[in-house]
Amino acid sequence: MVAAAFSALAMMETEEAQIATGLRRRDPEVLDALIEQYQHRLLRYLVHLTRDRATAEDLFQETWIRVLEKGHQYDGKSRFATWLMTIAHNVAIDHLRKRRPVSLDEMRDAEAAAPFEPVSDGPSPFEQVSALEDRARIQAALEQIPPIFREVLALRFQEQMKLEEIAKLINIPLATVKTRLYRGVMALRPALMGGGE
Amino acid sequence: MNGHEHQRAIDLISRREIEGVTEAEARWLQSHLAECTECSEYELAMGSAEQAVRSFTVMATGSLMASTQARVRARAVELRERESRRFLVAISFAVGVVFSTLSAWAWWKLGGWMVERFSLPSAIVGPGVVFFWLLPAIVLGVLLMAFPESSFEGSVMQLLMKDRQRGIQ
Repeated sequence: MVAAAFSALAMMETEEAQIATGLRRRDPEVLDALIEQYQHRLLRYLVHLTRDRATAEDLFQETWIRVLEKGHQYDGKSRFATWLMTIAHNVAIDHLRKRRPVSLDEMRDAEAAAPFEPVSDGPSPFEQVSALEDRARIQAALEQIPPIFREVLALRFQEQMKLEEIAKLINIPLATVKTRLYRGVMALRPALMGGGE
Repeated sequence: MNGHEHQRAIDLISRREIEGVTEAEARWLQSHLAECTECSEYELAMGSAEQAVRSFTVMATGSLMASTQARVRARAVELRERESRRFLVAISFAVGVVFSTLSAWAWWKLGGWMVERFSLPSAIVGPGVVFFWLLPAIVLGVLLMAFPESSFEGSVMQLLMKDRQRGIQ
C-alpha cells in the first residue's frame, strides 16, 4: 500500500514536471491538452467566483493566456491544478477590481444568469421535478453566501484541496481559510436544512 | 466542555475527509460529538454543504474550448516573435559593443594623428572619436528600429534565432 502511494506520488511528480517543461517551451500540444483536461474544473471555479457564466468564460480564456505567459514560473513541484486555480483567482480579482472598485464580498447582486447545470439524476418526471427543485434551492442557498465563502467551499468540496493549499492559493492565513469554511458551511445550513421540510 | 474542545472538534471535522485524522483524534472526535449537539450539527451541516456544492456541475462548451485554444496559440506565436526580436536586439547590441571595444584603440590613435596632421582642435576631435567609437552600435540600433522583423527573414541572425529556439524546444 505504501509502495502504491509512493508510485502514485512519483507518477504525479513526473506528470507535473512534464507539464512544467511543456509550459517553459510554450508547447502548443501541452497547452491544448491542459485546456482540455481542466476545462470544466476551471470554468466551474470561475463561475463560483463570478456567478456569471459569460464573465467566467471571458476569465477562462484570460486565465489560459496568463498560463501561457507565466508558464515559465511553474516549477512542477506543486500540483498544476493548484497553480492553475491561483492564476484564475488572480485573473478574477484583477477583473473585479477593474470593473468596479469593490471587494468580492460586495459581488452579491451579480446578474442572475443560470451559471450552473444540474447533474442528470434520472429519467422519471418526478425525479426531474424534484431535482429541479433541489437545484433551485441549492443554487439560491449558494447565491446567498458571500463569494469569499463560496470560493473556499468550491475549492474544498469540488477541487478537494487541502486547507493549506487553499490558503496558499488565495494568499490568506490558514486560520482565515478555516474561518471561511466554517462560516460558509454555517451560512448554507439554514437553506439546506430547511429544504427537506 | 470548553471553547478549546469545540474548536478542536470543528478543526478535526474540517480536516477529516481530505487531510485525514489519526485514530486517537477520530476516537476523541466521536466521543465529543456524542456529547456536543453544537459540533454534531456542524458535522451534519458540513456533509450537507459538501453534497450541495458537489451536486452542481458546469460544463465548458466545445466552442469555448476551441476559441480558447486558438487564442492561446495565436498569443504563443506573438510571444515567440517578440522573444525572437528581443534576442536579435541583444545579439546586435553585443556585436556593437564588441566592435566598439575592438575599434576604440584605432579611433583614438586616428584622432591623435588627425590632431597632429591637420592641427585640429581637440574639442572637435574628442567628440568625433567618441562618435566613431559608438558608430557600430548606433548603426545596428538604427537598422533594427528601421526594419521590421520580417526584413531579417533568412538572414544569419534569423537563422541563429531559429537554432536557439530549436535548442530550447
